Amino acid sequence: MDLSGKSVLVVGAGGLGGPALLVLAAGGVGRITIVEDDVVETSNLNRQPLFAETDLGLRKAAAAAARLRELFPAAALDVRDARFDAGNAVELARAADVVVDGSDNFSTKFLANDAALRARVPLVHGGVLRTTAQLLSVVPAGLGGCLRCLFEAPPPAGEIPSCAEAGILGPVAGFAGSLMGAEALRLLAGERGAYEGRLYTFEARSARSRLVLVRKRQGCLACAGTQPIEGAAPEACERTTSRPGSAA
Amino acid sequence: MSRGPAPLDDARLARWARQLLVPGFGEAAQQRVAAVTVRAVGADAVASPALVYLVQAGVGRLWIDDPETVSPADAGGWLYPPAAVGTPRADAASAALARLSSYVEVAPYPMGGVPSATLVAAPSAAQALHAAEAARRAGIPHVVLEADADGGALVSVPPGAPCYACARSTGAGRPAVPGAAALAALAAQELLLLVASPGTVPGRRFDLVRGVATARPTARLAGCACGAAREPAPGAPPG
Amino acid sequence: MSAGAAVVDLRRYACPLTWVKTRIALERVGEGDRIEVWLAAGEAVESVPRSAAHDGHRVLGVEPLREDPAGFRVLIEKGAPAPGELA
Repeated sequence: MDLSGKSVLVVGAGGLGGPALLVLAAGGVGRITIVEDDVVETSNLNRQPLFAETDLGLRKAAAAAARLRELFPAAALDVRDARFDAGNAVELARAADVVVDGSDNFSTKFLANDAALRARVPLVHGGVLRTTAQLLSVVPAGLGGCLRCLFEAPPPAGEIPSCAEAGILGPVAGFAGSLMGAEALRLLAGERGAYEGRLYTFEARSARSRLVLVRKRQGCLACAGTQPIEGAAPEACERTTSRPGSAA
Repeated sequence: MSRGPAPLDDARLARWARQLLVPGFGEAAQQRVAAVTVRAVGADAVASPALVYLVQAGVGRLWIDDPETVSPADAGGWLYPPAAVGTPRADAASAALARLSSYVEVAPYPMGGVPSATLVAAPSAAQALHAAEAARRAGIPHVVLEADADGGALVSVPPGAPCYACARSTGAGRPAVPGAAALAALAAQELLLLVASPGTVPGRRFDLVRGVATARPTARLAGCACGAAREPAPGAPPG
Repeated sequence: MSAGAAVVDLRRYACPLTWVKTRIALERVGEGDRIEVWLAAGEAVESVPRSAAHDGHRVLGVEPLREDPAGFRVLIEKGAPAPGELA
Protein backbone atom coordinates (compact mmCIF):
# COMPACT_ATOMS: atom_id res chain seq x y z
CA MET A 1 0.00 0.00 0.00
CA ASP A 2 1.47 3.33 -1.05
CA LEU A 3 1.19 5.83 1.79
CA SER A 4 3.45 8.44 0.21
CA GLY A 5 0.48 10.77 -0.20
CA LYS A 6 -0.51 10.47 3.45
CA SER A 7 0.47 12.50 6.47
CA VAL A 8 0.62 11.61 10.18
CA LEU A 9 0.92 13.77 13.29
CA VAL A 10 2.88 12.18 16.14
CA VAL A 11 2.65 13.81 19.56
CA GLY A 12 5.75 12.96 21.55
CA ALA A 13 8.92 11.18 20.42
CA GLY A 14 9.63 9.24 23.61
CA GLY A 15 8.55 5.87 24.90
CA LEU A 16 5.44 5.58 22.73
CA GLY A 17 6.08 8.13 20.00
CA GLY A 18 9.60 6.86 19.37
CA PRO A 19 8.72 3.32 18.28
CA ALA A 20 5.61 4.62 16.50
CA LEU A 21 7.79 7.00 14.46
CA LEU A 22 10.17 4.19 13.52
CA VAL A 23 7.24 2.07 12.33
CA LEU A 24 5.66 4.95 10.42
CA ALA A 25 8.90 5.93 8.70
CA ALA A 26 9.54 2.33 7.69
CA GLY A 27 5.97 2.11 6.43
CA GLY A 28 6.62 4.89 3.94
CA VAL A 29 4.19 7.53 5.19
CA GLY A 30 4.61 10.62 3.04
CA ARG A 31 4.84 13.30 5.70
CA ILE A 32 5.47 12.85 9.42
CA THR A 33 4.95 15.76 11.79
CA ILE A 34 6.60 15.46 15.20
CA VAL A 35 5.60 17.64 18.14
CA GLU A 36 7.92 17.33 21.13
CA ASP A 37 9.22 19.94 23.57
CA ASP A 38 11.38 17.98 25.98
CA VAL A 39 15.11 17.39 26.48
CA VAL A 40 16.81 13.96 26.43
CA GLU A 41 17.55 12.77 29.98
CA THR A 42 19.37 9.71 31.24
CA SER A 43 16.27 8.07 32.69
CA ASN A 44 14.58 8.29 29.27
CA LEU A 45 17.02 5.90 27.67
CA ASN A 46 15.61 2.64 29.03
CA ARG A 47 12.56 3.03 26.81
CA GLN A 48 13.02 5.75 24.17
CA PRO A 49 14.70 4.08 21.19
CA LEU A 50 15.33 7.23 19.15
CA PHE A 51 17.89 8.47 21.67
CA ALA A 52 21.41 7.33 22.38
CA GLU A 53 23.65 8.16 25.32
CA THR A 54 25.37 10.65 23.02
CA ASP A 55 22.08 12.59 22.76
CA LEU A 56 21.83 13.44 26.46
CA GLY A 57 21.02 17.11 26.93
CA LEU A 58 19.83 17.63 23.36
CA ARG A 59 16.33 18.78 22.43
CA LYS A 60 14.29 15.63 21.80
CA ALA A 61 12.66 16.98 18.66
CA ALA A 62 16.01 17.60 16.99
CA ALA A 63 17.55 14.35 18.18
CA ALA A 64 14.52 12.35 17.03
CA ALA A 65 14.60 13.98 13.62
CA ALA A 66 18.32 13.35 13.23
CA ARG A 67 17.94 9.68 14.11
CA LEU A 68 14.98 9.18 11.77
CA ARG A 69 16.76 10.95 8.91
CA GLU A 70 19.81 8.79 9.43
CA LEU A 71 17.77 5.58 9.18
CA PHE A 72 15.23 6.79 6.63
CA PRO A 73 16.78 9.56 4.51
CA ALA A 74 13.73 9.65 2.25
CA ALA A 75 11.29 10.42 5.06
CA ALA A 76 9.77 13.90 4.91
CA LEU A 77 9.73 15.20 8.47
CA ASP A 78 8.06 18.31 9.81
CA VAL A 79 9.63 18.89 13.22
CA ARG A 80 7.97 21.12 15.83
CA ASP A 81 10.02 21.73 18.95
CA ALA A 82 6.95 22.90 20.81
CA ARG A 83 4.35 21.78 23.29
CA PHE A 84 1.19 20.29 21.83
CA ASP A 85 -1.35 22.57 23.48
CA ALA A 86 -4.73 24.22 23.13
CA GLY A 87 -3.19 26.87 20.88
CA ASN A 88 -2.02 24.49 18.14
CA ALA A 89 -3.72 21.14 18.67
CA VAL A 90 -6.67 21.47 16.29
CA GLU A 91 -4.64 23.12 13.54
CA LEU A 92 -1.99 20.39 13.74
CA ALA A 93 -4.62 17.65 13.74
CA ARG A 94 -6.41 19.14 10.72
CA ALA A 95 -3.20 18.99 8.70
CA ALA A 96 -2.86 15.23 9.23
CA ASP A 97 -4.65 12.09 8.04
CA VAL A 98 -4.09 10.34 11.39
CA VAL A 99 -2.98 11.51 14.83
CA VAL A 100 -0.76 9.24 16.94
CA ASP A 101 -0.78 10.34 20.55
CA GLY A 102 2.43 9.29 22.26
CA SER A 103 2.11 11.92 24.98
CA ASP A 104 2.97 11.09 28.55
CA ASN A 105 0.30 12.80 30.63
CA PHE A 106 -3.44 12.89 30.94
CA SER A 107 -4.09 16.50 30.01
CA THR A 108 -2.38 16.07 26.68
CA LYS A 109 -4.08 12.73 25.99
CA PHE A 110 -7.47 14.32 26.47
CA LEU A 111 -6.48 17.34 24.43
CA ALA A 112 -5.35 15.09 21.57
CA ASN A 113 -8.66 13.22 21.78
CA ASP A 114 -10.73 16.37 21.68
CA ALA A 115 -8.67 18.07 18.96
CA ALA A 116 -8.62 15.05 16.65
CA LEU A 117 -12.38 14.65 16.93
CA ARG A 118 -12.94 18.35 16.31
CA ALA A 119 -10.68 18.10 13.27
CA ARG A 120 -12.53 14.91 12.22
CA VAL A 121 -9.24 12.99 12.03
CA PRO A 122 -8.71 9.45 13.41
CA LEU A 123 -6.61 9.20 16.55
CA VAL A 124 -4.51 6.35 17.92
CA HIS A 125 -4.20 6.65 21.68
CA GLY A 126 -1.78 4.69 23.82
CA GLY A 127 -0.55 4.50 27.36
CA VAL A 128 1.95 2.47 29.34
CA LEU A 129 2.55 2.07 33.05
CA ARG A 130 4.80 -0.45 34.77
CA THR A 131 4.10 -3.64 32.85
CA THR A 132 0.77 -2.74 31.27
CA ALA A 133 0.08 -1.26 27.85
CA GLN A 134 -3.22 0.18 26.61
CA LEU A 135 -4.38 1.19 23.15
CA LEU A 136 -7.54 2.69 21.71
CA SER A 137 -8.34 4.10 18.28
CA VAL A 138 -10.89 6.88 17.99
CA VAL A 139 -12.35 7.21 14.52
CA PRO A 140 -14.81 10.10 13.97
CA ALA A 141 -18.11 8.67 12.78
CA GLY A 142 -16.58 5.22 13.19
CA LEU A 143 -17.21 2.45 15.65
CA GLY A 144 -17.29 3.08 19.36
CA GLY A 145 -16.53 5.87 21.74
CA CYS A 146 -13.62 8.14 22.53
CA LEU A 147 -11.35 8.69 25.51
CA ARG A 148 -14.03 10.81 27.21
CA CYS A 149 -16.62 8.11 26.66
CA LEU A 150 -14.23 5.81 28.50
CA PHE A 151 -13.27 8.32 31.19
CA GLU A 152 -15.40 11.42 31.50
CA ALA A 153 -12.50 13.39 32.91
CA PRO A 154 -8.84 12.85 33.71
CA PRO A 155 -8.46 11.11 37.07
CA PRO A 156 -7.65 13.45 39.98
CA ALA A 157 -3.97 13.94 40.71
CA GLY A 158 -2.66 11.46 43.25
CA GLU A 159 -5.08 8.71 42.31
CA ILE A 160 -2.59 7.41 39.79
CA PRO A 161 1.08 7.30 40.70
CA SER A 162 3.07 10.16 39.28
CA CYS A 163 6.16 9.78 37.14
CA ALA A 164 8.43 9.92 40.13
CA GLU A 165 6.77 6.90 41.62
CA ALA A 166 5.78 4.70 38.72
CA GLY A 167 8.09 2.61 36.62
CA ILE A 168 8.01 1.52 33.01
CA LEU A 169 9.61 -1.52 31.47
CA GLY A 170 11.20 -0.38 28.20
CA PRO A 171 10.07 -3.22 25.92
CA VAL A 172 6.47 -2.84 27.12
CA ALA A 173 6.53 0.77 25.97
CA GLY A 174 8.11 -0.46 22.76
CA PHE A 175 5.36 -3.01 22.28
CA ALA A 176 2.67 -0.38 22.78
CA GLY A 177 4.33 2.25 20.58
CA SER A 178 5.03 -0.24 17.79
CA LEU A 179 1.40 -1.36 17.85
CA MET A 180 0.33 2.29 17.69
CA GLY A 181 2.45 2.77 14.60
CA ALA A 182 1.04 -0.36 12.98
CA GLU A 183 -2.51 0.73 13.81
CA ALA A 184 -1.87 4.12 12.25
CA LEU A 185 -0.63 2.40 9.09
CA ARG A 186 -3.86 0.39 8.99
CA LEU A 187 -6.01 3.48 9.33
CA LEU A 188 -3.98 5.34 6.71
CA ALA A 189 -4.48 2.42 4.33
CA GLY A 190 -8.24 2.74 4.78
CA GLU A 191 -8.63 -0.44 6.82
CA ARG A 192 -10.65 -0.74 9.99
CA GLY A 193 -8.48 -0.26 13.06
CA ALA A 194 -7.73 -3.20 15.33
CA TYR A 195 -8.52 -1.00 18.33
CA GLU A 196 -11.33 1.01 16.82
CA GLY A 197 -13.84 1.55 19.60
CA ARG A 198 -12.11 -1.21 21.58
CA LEU A 199 -9.64 -0.68 24.39
CA TYR A 200 -6.77 -3.16 24.11
CA THR A 201 -4.90 -3.88 27.32
CA PHE A 202 -1.83 -6.06 27.62
CA GLU A 203 -0.07 -6.97 30.86
CA ALA A 204 3.43 -8.32 30.40
CA ARG A 205 3.99 -10.70 33.31
CA SER A 206 0.68 -12.51 33.00
CA ALA A 207 0.75 -12.05 29.20
CA ARG A 208 -2.95 -11.32 29.45
CA SER A 209 -4.62 -9.39 26.65
CA ARG A 210 -8.08 -7.89 26.86
CA LEU A 211 -10.13 -6.16 24.21
CA VAL A 212 -13.03 -4.23 25.76
CA LEU A 213 -15.75 -2.40 23.84
CA VAL A 214 -15.87 1.32 24.41
CA ARG A 215 -19.41 2.49 23.75
CA LYS A 216 -20.18 6.01 22.68
CA ARG A 217 -21.48 7.86 25.70
CA GLN A 218 -24.78 9.61 25.11
CA GLY A 219 -24.13 13.34 24.83
CA CYS A 220 -20.33 13.11 24.60
CA LEU A 221 -19.20 16.54 23.45
CA ALA A 222 -15.85 15.30 22.26
CA CYS A 223 -17.46 12.76 19.92
CA ALA A 224 -19.63 15.58 18.59
CA GLY A 225 -16.52 17.64 17.96
CA THR A 226 -17.68 20.34 20.36
CA GLN A 227 -15.62 19.61 23.49
CA PRO A 228 -13.96 22.92 24.47
CA ILE A 229 -10.29 22.76 23.56
CA GLU A 230 -8.25 23.35 26.68
CA GLY A 231 -5.19 21.83 28.25
CA ALA A 232 -3.77 22.30 31.72
CA ALA A 233 0.03 22.40 32.03
CA PRO A 234 1.10 18.77 31.60
CA GLU A 235 3.48 17.10 34.01
CA ALA A 236 6.31 15.25 32.34
CA CYS A 237 5.59 11.68 33.29
CA GLU A 238 3.98 8.69 31.64
CA ARG A 239 0.62 7.29 32.67
CA THR A 240 -1.97 4.92 31.31
CA THR A 241 -5.58 5.93 31.24
CA SER A 242 -6.37 3.10 33.58
CA ARG A 243 -7.57 3.77 37.08
CA PRO A 244 -6.96 1.31 39.88
CA GLY A 245 -9.64 -1.32 39.68
CA SER A 246 -10.79 -0.41 36.19
CA ALA A 247 -10.89 -2.55 33.05
CA ALA A 248 -7.14 -2.94 32.75
CA MET B 1 25.18 -12.78 51.72
CA SER B 2 28.73 -11.56 52.07
CA ARG B 3 29.56 -11.87 48.39
CA GLY B 4 27.55 -10.67 45.42
CA PRO B 5 27.39 -8.05 42.74
CA ALA B 6 28.35 -4.50 43.73
CA PRO B 7 25.43 -2.22 44.59
CA LEU B 8 24.32 -0.06 41.67
CA ASP B 9 26.07 3.29 41.66
CA ASP B 10 24.15 6.56 41.37
CA ALA B 11 24.75 6.85 37.63
CA ARG B 12 23.24 3.43 37.03
CA LEU B 13 20.35 4.16 39.38
CA ALA B 14 19.59 7.31 37.42
CA ARG B 15 19.92 5.51 34.11
CA TRP B 16 17.53 2.71 35.04
CA ALA B 17 15.38 4.60 37.52
CA ARG B 18 12.23 3.96 35.52
CA GLN B 19 12.53 0.21 35.42
CA LEU B 20 13.85 -0.02 38.97
CA LEU B 21 10.44 1.27 40.01
CA VAL B 22 8.52 -1.54 38.33
CA PRO B 23 7.12 -3.97 40.94
CA GLY B 24 9.28 -7.07 41.00
CA PHE B 25 12.12 -5.33 39.18
CA GLY B 26 14.48 -3.94 41.76
CA GLU B 27 18.19 -3.76 42.32
CA ALA B 28 18.73 -7.52 42.25
CA ALA B 29 16.85 -7.78 38.97
CA GLN B 30 18.88 -4.99 37.40
CA GLN B 31 22.08 -6.67 38.55
CA ARG B 32 21.01 -9.93 36.92
CA VAL B 33 20.41 -8.04 33.69
CA ALA B 34 23.83 -6.40 33.93
CA ALA B 35 25.44 -9.79 34.49
CA VAL B 36 23.85 -11.51 31.47
CA THR B 37 25.57 -12.29 28.19
CA VAL B 38 22.99 -12.49 25.41
CA ARG B 39 23.72 -14.26 22.15
CA ALA B 40 21.54 -12.79 19.40
CA VAL B 41 21.14 -15.28 16.57
CA GLY B 42 20.00 -13.15 13.66
CA ALA B 43 20.23 -9.35 13.53
CA ASP B 44 18.07 -8.35 10.59
CA ALA B 45 15.45 -5.58 10.53
CA VAL B 46 12.93 -7.81 12.30
CA ALA B 47 15.27 -8.43 15.23
CA SER B 48 16.55 -4.86 15.46
CA PRO B 49 13.98 -3.46 17.93
CA ALA B 50 14.68 -6.36 20.30
CA LEU B 51 18.39 -5.61 20.24
CA VAL B 52 17.81 -1.92 20.93
CA TYR B 53 15.54 -2.65 23.91
CA LEU B 54 17.86 -5.26 25.38
CA VAL B 55 20.79 -2.86 25.22
CA GLN B 56 18.79 -0.04 26.75
CA ALA B 57 17.48 -2.32 29.48
CA GLY B 58 21.06 -2.73 30.64
CA VAL B 59 22.21 -6.16 29.48
CA GLY B 60 25.88 -6.45 30.24
CA ARG B 61 27.04 -8.14 27.07
CA LEU B 62 25.45 -8.76 23.69
CA TRP B 63 26.98 -10.98 21.04
CA ILE B 64 25.67 -10.60 17.50
CA ASP B 65 25.66 -13.98 15.79
CA ASP B 66 24.86 -13.19 12.16
CA PRO B 67 27.16 -13.94 9.24
CA GLU B 68 25.17 -12.03 6.63
CA THR B 69 25.69 -8.57 5.20
CA VAL B 70 23.20 -5.77 5.65
CA SER B 71 20.59 -5.99 2.89
CA PRO B 72 18.37 -3.19 1.54
CA ALA B 73 15.48 -4.79 3.45
CA ASP B 74 17.39 -4.36 6.70
CA ALA B 75 17.32 -0.63 6.12
CA GLY B 76 13.67 -0.75 7.19
CA GLY B 77 14.70 -1.46 10.77
CA TRP B 78 16.04 0.36 13.78
CA LEU B 79 19.79 -0.11 13.35
CA TYR B 80 21.01 0.13 9.77
CA PRO B 81 21.22 3.38 7.79
CA PRO B 82 21.40 2.95 4.01
CA ALA B 83 25.17 3.49 4.17
CA ALA B 84 25.53 0.21 6.07
CA VAL B 85 24.05 -1.88 3.25
CA GLY B 86 26.66 -4.37 2.04
CA THR B 87 28.68 -4.31 5.25
CA PRO B 88 28.69 -7.25 7.70
CA ARG B 89 25.58 -7.16 9.90
CA ALA B 90 27.45 -8.19 13.03
CA ASP B 91 29.83 -5.25 12.72
CA ALA B 92 27.17 -2.70 11.75
CA ALA B 93 24.84 -3.82 14.54
CA SER B 94 27.62 -3.79 17.11
CA ALA B 95 28.60 -0.25 16.19
CA ALA B 96 25.03 1.05 16.15
CA LEU B 97 24.17 -0.55 19.48
CA ALA B 98 27.37 0.47 21.24
CA ARG B 99 26.49 4.09 20.50
CA LEU B 100 23.28 3.77 22.48
CA SER B 101 24.89 2.92 25.79
CA SER B 102 28.29 2.84 27.42
CA TYR B 103 27.09 0.19 29.87
CA VAL B 104 26.92 -2.64 27.35
CA GLU B 105 29.67 -4.56 25.63
CA VAL B 106 28.49 -5.40 22.09
CA ALA B 107 30.53 -7.49 19.70
CA PRO B 108 30.20 -10.11 16.97
CA TYR B 109 29.68 -13.56 18.52
CA PRO B 110 33.07 -15.03 19.36
CA MET B 111 33.66 -18.65 18.35
CA GLY B 112 33.14 -20.83 21.41
CA GLY B 113 31.55 -18.00 23.38
CA VAL B 114 29.27 -19.15 26.22
CA PRO B 115 26.16 -16.99 26.56
CA SER B 116 23.80 -17.00 29.51
CA ALA B 117 20.69 -16.18 27.44
CA THR B 118 19.80 -16.38 23.75
CA LEU B 119 17.54 -14.42 21.41
CA VAL B 120 16.75 -16.32 18.22
CA ALA B 121 15.53 -14.40 15.18
CA ALA B 122 16.98 -16.71 12.59
CA PRO B 123 16.11 -16.58 8.88
CA SER B 124 15.25 -20.27 8.56
CA ALA B 125 13.38 -22.84 10.63
CA ALA B 126 16.41 -25.11 10.64
CA GLN B 127 18.67 -22.39 12.03
CA ALA B 128 16.10 -21.44 14.64
CA LEU B 129 15.76 -25.04 15.81
CA HIS B 130 19.50 -25.48 15.96
CA ALA B 131 20.07 -22.32 17.97
CA ALA B 132 17.18 -23.06 20.31
CA GLU B 133 18.42 -26.58 20.92
CA ALA B 134 21.88 -25.30 21.80
CA ALA B 135 20.35 -22.93 24.33
CA ARG B 136 18.16 -25.66 25.76
CA ARG B 137 21.11 -27.99 26.26
CA ALA B 138 23.04 -25.20 27.90
CA GLY B 139 20.14 -24.72 30.31
CA ILE B 140 19.82 -21.02 29.54
CA PRO B 141 16.65 -18.95 28.98
CA HIS B 142 15.89 -18.25 25.34
CA VAL B 143 13.25 -16.65 23.20
CA VAL B 144 12.51 -17.48 19.54
CA LEU B 145 10.84 -15.07 17.09
CA GLU B 146 8.86 -16.19 14.07
CA ALA B 147 7.93 -13.12 12.05
CA ASP B 148 4.77 -13.26 9.94
CA ALA B 149 3.60 -10.13 8.09
CA ASP B 150 3.01 -7.45 10.74
CA GLY B 151 3.05 -9.88 13.64
CA GLY B 152 3.99 -13.51 14.08
CA ALA B 153 4.77 -15.84 16.95
CA LEU B 154 7.14 -15.80 19.87
CA VAL B 155 8.15 -18.78 21.98
CA SER B 156 9.62 -18.08 25.37
CA VAL B 157 11.65 -20.90 26.97
CA PRO B 158 12.83 -20.60 30.56
CA PRO B 159 15.30 -23.35 31.59
CA GLY B 160 13.48 -26.67 31.86
CA ALA B 161 10.32 -25.48 30.08
CA PRO B 162 8.89 -27.19 26.99
CA CYS B 163 11.35 -26.50 24.21
CA TYR B 164 11.00 -24.49 21.04
CA ALA B 165 10.51 -27.61 18.92
CA CYS B 166 7.43 -28.44 21.00
CA ALA B 167 5.86 -25.05 20.55
CA ARG B 168 6.92 -23.75 17.16
CA SER B 169 4.78 -23.09 14.12
CA THR B 170 4.81 -25.60 11.34
CA GLY B 171 4.77 -24.16 7.86
CA ALA B 172 6.47 -20.96 6.79
CA GLY B 173 5.17 -17.55 7.78
CA ARG B 174 4.88 -14.66 5.37
CA PRO B 175 7.82 -12.26 5.22
CA ALA B 176 7.75 -9.45 7.77
CA VAL B 177 6.32 -6.17 6.48
CA PRO B 178 8.45 -3.02 6.76
CA GLY B 179 8.01 -1.51 10.17
CA ALA B 180 6.90 -4.70 11.93
CA ALA B 181 8.42 -4.09 15.34
CA ALA B 182 5.92 -5.10 18.00
CA LEU B 183 6.92 -8.78 18.00
CA ALA B 184 10.56 -7.88 18.55
CA ALA B 185 9.65 -5.58 21.44
CA LEU B 186 7.72 -8.48 22.94
CA ALA B 187 10.78 -10.71 22.48
CA ALA B 188 12.93 -8.25 24.38
CA GLN B 189 10.31 -8.08 27.11
CA GLU B 190 10.20 -11.86 27.50
CA LEU B 191 13.96 -12.31 27.55
CA LEU B 192 14.28 -9.46 30.03
CA LEU B 193 11.70 -11.07 32.35
CA LEU B 194 13.39 -14.47 32.08
CA VAL B 195 16.74 -12.95 33.03
CA ALA B 196 15.59 -10.41 35.60
CA SER B 197 12.93 -12.45 37.40
CA PRO B 198 13.85 -16.12 36.88
CA GLY B 199 11.15 -18.57 37.86
CA THR B 200 8.31 -16.04 37.86
CA VAL B 201 7.20 -16.50 34.28
CA PRO B 202 6.39 -19.90 32.69
CA GLY B 203 7.26 -21.05 29.18
CA ARG B 204 4.72 -19.59 26.81
CA ARG B 205 3.94 -18.88 23.19
CA PHE B 206 2.52 -15.59 21.91
CA ASP B 207 0.69 -15.22 18.63
CA LEU B 208 0.51 -11.63 17.48
CA VAL B 209 -2.17 -11.26 14.84
CA ARG B 210 -3.66 -7.97 13.69
CA GLY B 211 -2.36 -6.12 16.67
CA VAL B 212 -3.56 -8.47 19.39
CA ALA B 213 -1.26 -10.84 21.28
CA THR B 214 -2.65 -14.13 22.53
CA ALA B 215 -0.47 -16.11 24.91
CA ARG B 216 -0.67 -19.76 25.93
CA PRO B 217 1.58 -21.85 28.17
CA THR B 218 3.73 -24.17 26.09
CA ALA B 219 3.24 -27.92 26.40
CA ARG B 220 5.73 -30.68 25.87
CA LEU B 221 5.13 -32.95 22.90
CA ALA B 222 5.22 -36.64 23.84
CA GLY B 223 8.62 -38.14 23.22
CA CYS B 224 10.45 -34.84 22.81
CA ALA B 225 14.05 -34.88 23.98
CA CYS B 226 13.32 -31.89 26.19
CA GLY B 227 11.18 -34.13 28.35
CA ALA B 228 13.79 -36.86 28.79
CA ALA B 229 15.67 -37.21 32.09
CA ARG B 230 17.00 -33.72 32.03
CA GLU B 231 19.97 -32.22 33.78
CA PRO B 232 18.77 -29.63 36.25
CA ALA B 233 18.93 -26.05 35.09
CA PRO B 234 21.83 -24.15 36.64
CA GLY B 235 20.90 -23.35 40.23
CA ALA B 236 17.66 -25.35 40.15
CA PRO B 237 17.06 -28.41 42.34
CA PRO B 238 17.35 -31.77 40.50
CA GLY B 239 14.30 -33.57 39.03
CA MET C 1 10.90 7.23 66.53
CA SER C 2 12.43 3.87 67.23
CA ALA C 3 16.15 3.35 67.44
CA GLY C 4 17.67 0.47 65.51
CA ALA C 5 16.17 1.32 62.12
CA ALA C 6 18.86 1.61 59.42
CA VAL C 7 19.29 5.22 58.39
CA VAL C 8 19.31 6.03 54.69
CA ASP C 9 20.47 9.61 54.15
CA LEU C 10 19.05 10.85 50.85
CA ARG C 11 19.16 14.56 51.52
CA ARG C 12 21.32 15.27 48.52
CA TYR C 13 19.02 13.50 46.07
CA ALA C 14 15.91 14.69 44.24
CA CYS C 15 12.89 12.91 42.77
CA PRO C 16 12.79 10.28 41.38
CA LEU C 17 16.10 9.03 42.78
CA THR C 18 14.79 9.56 46.32
CA TRP C 19 12.10 6.95 45.79
CA VAL C 20 14.37 4.67 43.73
CA LYS C 21 16.94 4.58 46.52
CA THR C 22 14.29 4.17 49.20
CA ARG C 23 12.82 1.26 47.31
CA ILE C 24 16.22 -0.38 46.99
CA ALA C 25 16.90 0.10 50.68
CA LEU C 26 13.58 -1.63 51.39
CA GLU C 27 14.50 -4.42 48.98
CA ARG C 28 17.61 -5.10 51.02
CA VAL C 29 15.84 -5.57 54.37
CA GLY C 30 13.35 -8.22 55.45
CA GLU C 31 9.61 -8.01 55.84
CA GLY C 32 8.80 -6.24 59.10
CA ASP C 33 12.18 -4.50 59.24
CA ARG C 34 12.31 -0.73 59.44
CA ILE C 35 14.32 1.91 57.65
CA GLU C 36 14.61 5.60 58.40
CA VAL C 37 14.94 7.77 55.30
CA TRP C 38 16.32 11.30 55.59
CA LEU C 39 15.09 13.72 52.95
CA ALA C 40 15.64 17.35 52.11
CA ALA C 41 12.53 19.53 52.16
CA GLY C 42 10.62 19.30 48.91
CA GLU C 43 8.50 17.02 46.74
CA ALA C 44 10.14 13.86 48.06
CA VAL C 45 8.85 14.40 51.61
CA GLU C 46 5.38 13.93 50.21
CA SER C 47 6.00 11.47 47.37
CA VAL C 48 8.25 9.00 49.20
CA PRO C 49 5.72 8.19 51.95
CA ARG C 50 2.95 8.05 49.36
CA SER C 51 4.90 5.67 47.15
CA ALA C 52 5.87 3.52 50.13
CA ALA C 53 2.27 3.21 51.21
CA HIS C 54 1.19 2.51 47.65
CA ASP C 55 3.71 -0.34 47.48
CA GLY C 56 2.29 -1.94 50.62
CA HIS C 57 4.76 -0.71 53.23
CA ARG C 58 3.76 0.96 56.51
CA VAL C 59 4.76 4.59 56.95
CA LEU C 60 5.19 4.94 60.68
CA GLY C 61 5.90 8.65 60.70
CA VAL C 62 7.21 11.75 58.98
CA GLU C 63 8.81 14.44 61.12
CA PRO C 64 11.42 17.19 60.89
CA LEU C 65 14.99 16.12 61.44
CA ARG C 66 16.48 17.17 64.73
CA GLU C 67 19.94 16.98 63.15
CA ASP C 68 19.09 19.27 60.22
CA PRO C 69 16.42 21.99 60.30
CA ALA C 70 15.94 21.72 56.54
CA GLY C 71 15.47 17.97 56.57
CA PHE C 72 12.84 15.37 57.37
CA ARG C 73 12.90 11.78 58.48
CA VAL C 74 10.46 9.13 57.25
CA LEU C 75 10.20 5.86 59.16
CA ILE C 76 9.03 2.97 57.00
CA GLU C 77 8.30 -0.64 57.92
CA LYS C 78 8.69 -3.07 55.04
CA GLY C 79 5.54 -4.86 53.94
CA ALA C 80 4.97 -8.06 51.99
CA PRO C 81 6.59 -8.45 48.55
CA ALA C 82 4.77 -6.97 45.55
CA PRO C 83 3.17 -9.33 43.00
CA GLY C 84 5.82 -10.68 40.66
CA GLU C 85 8.53 -9.95 43.19
CA LEU C 86 10.77 -12.81 44.25
CA ALA C 87 10.13 -13.30 47.94
